[in-house]
Amino acid sequence: MPSYSASFLPALEVARLTLSRRPSLAESTSEQLMERYVDGEAESFELLYRRVSPNLMGYLLRLTRNRERAEDLLQITFSKIHRARGSYLRGAPVLPWILAIARRSFLDERRSAHVRTEDLSPDGSLPEQQHEERPLPTELSDALEIAIGRLPETYREAIVLTKITGLSVAEAATVLGATETAVKLRVHRGYNQLRKDLEQYSRTP
Amino acid sequence: MSMPKPDPLAELPWPKPERPREEVSTAIRSACTKNLCPVQHMSAGMRLTLCIAASSIVAAAAFWFGIRNDRSELGLRMGVYGALGWAIVQAVVLFAAFGPRRGGMAARTLRLALAFAVPVLYVGYLTLSAWSFVPFNQFSHGARAGHAMSCALVALVLGAVVSGGVLLAWRGTDPATPRLSGALAGLVGGVGGALAVGIGCPSHEAWHLWVSHGLVVIALGAVGFAAGRRLLAP
Repeated sequence: MPSYSASFLPALEVARLTLSRRPSLAESTSEQLMERYVDGEAESFELLYRRVSPNLMGYLLRLTRNRERAEDLLQITFSKIHRARGSYLRGAPVLPWILAIARRSFLDERRSAHVRTEDLSPDGSLPEQQHEERPLPTELSDALEIAIGRLPETYREAIVLTKITGLSVAEAATVLGATETAVKLRVHRGYNQLRKDLEQYSRTP
Repeated sequence: MSMPKPDPLAELPWPKPERPREEVSTAIRSACTKNLCPVQHMSAGMRLTLCIAASSIVAAAAFWFGIRNDRSELGLRMGVYGALGWAIVQAVVLFAAFGPRRGGMAARTLRLALAFAVPVLYVGYLTLSAWSFVPFNQFSHGARAGHAMSCALVALVLGAVVSGGVLLAWRGTDPATPRLSGALAGLVGGVGGALAVGIGCPSHEAWHLWVSHGLVVIALGAVGFAAGRRLLAP
């Protein structure tokens, strides 16, 4: 088959070929969806939201350990993405970029909430702390969820990003603003702690 | 050949990603798609070009100031050569710090190393270009102190113009390490401002160069570090 260079084709033909090469929405990668969203396509946002929101919600839920706060942060994150969509560097991986914005929103929210209100008891003293007796987990998945919740924040973030969200170590390092070595170390230490916690679970009758 | 070690926790039932409530999703969708229109998008190359242009304009203004005030030809020439040499360093720092990568930004280690290396190299360059040295008590009094103060102020203003240009060009692009990026923007701007003043400044005395031209770089690096979170995070 003879090969024709683009310069010999009429301009309309070139445009048609270019458009036909553009993948459909369902076939598009998250990066292509983000680029289309930047170009003003609302449908691509719908699909992008469907793809990234579960991962983002899972990450925020494990950061905050509170569903309402996580959903508030999800809304804040998407409003920031909407405002900053022009600053998205085309071709850069979307999920790490979005997760980094979510993490920044979480840190900002925590910093601004440094004044905590506490309800006093009728006699004016601080109420005694209530220790909730948690039943022992019966399923391994429940035990794992509890063990993840018990991890220090730095280890928890690294484990959630690499094991639950499915990012590579390099991508997780981008989100956390840390080196890859630091992320590997956090994951390793987090693993060790998880293993200890889960051994206790397996010993319980 | 050794086999890769199996992941001890690979078989665990890791939690599945969670979906937000439908009303939350509806609110987000309507907020993000209401009156959606294409946004002006600036490529990374364009942003880098704008930063170098800001630095060049400042250097050109200082060169014009030097000619107007009859600075010696040798002094002007040395200042211009220095500015040209450091323009390459500035471009390298900007590219390494803000240039596009597949993973977003360059490795944090490289950017941290640059944040430490740039002021050290610049103070080293100032030390090498000093022709004379007076004791500090002579430098800190009289006309020398006045000249140092005016030089530092002009360098600060010019550096702030370049740093501001860099921060605005890359506004909202770094959600992960905005403070570090801000510090690098401040350092690049500080070097730009200090070099521009160096073109028109007749003094080659060591204390003058360290205080008026060197401290400005460090000060603007600190300002960039503080402003980075607000300006560079989306």
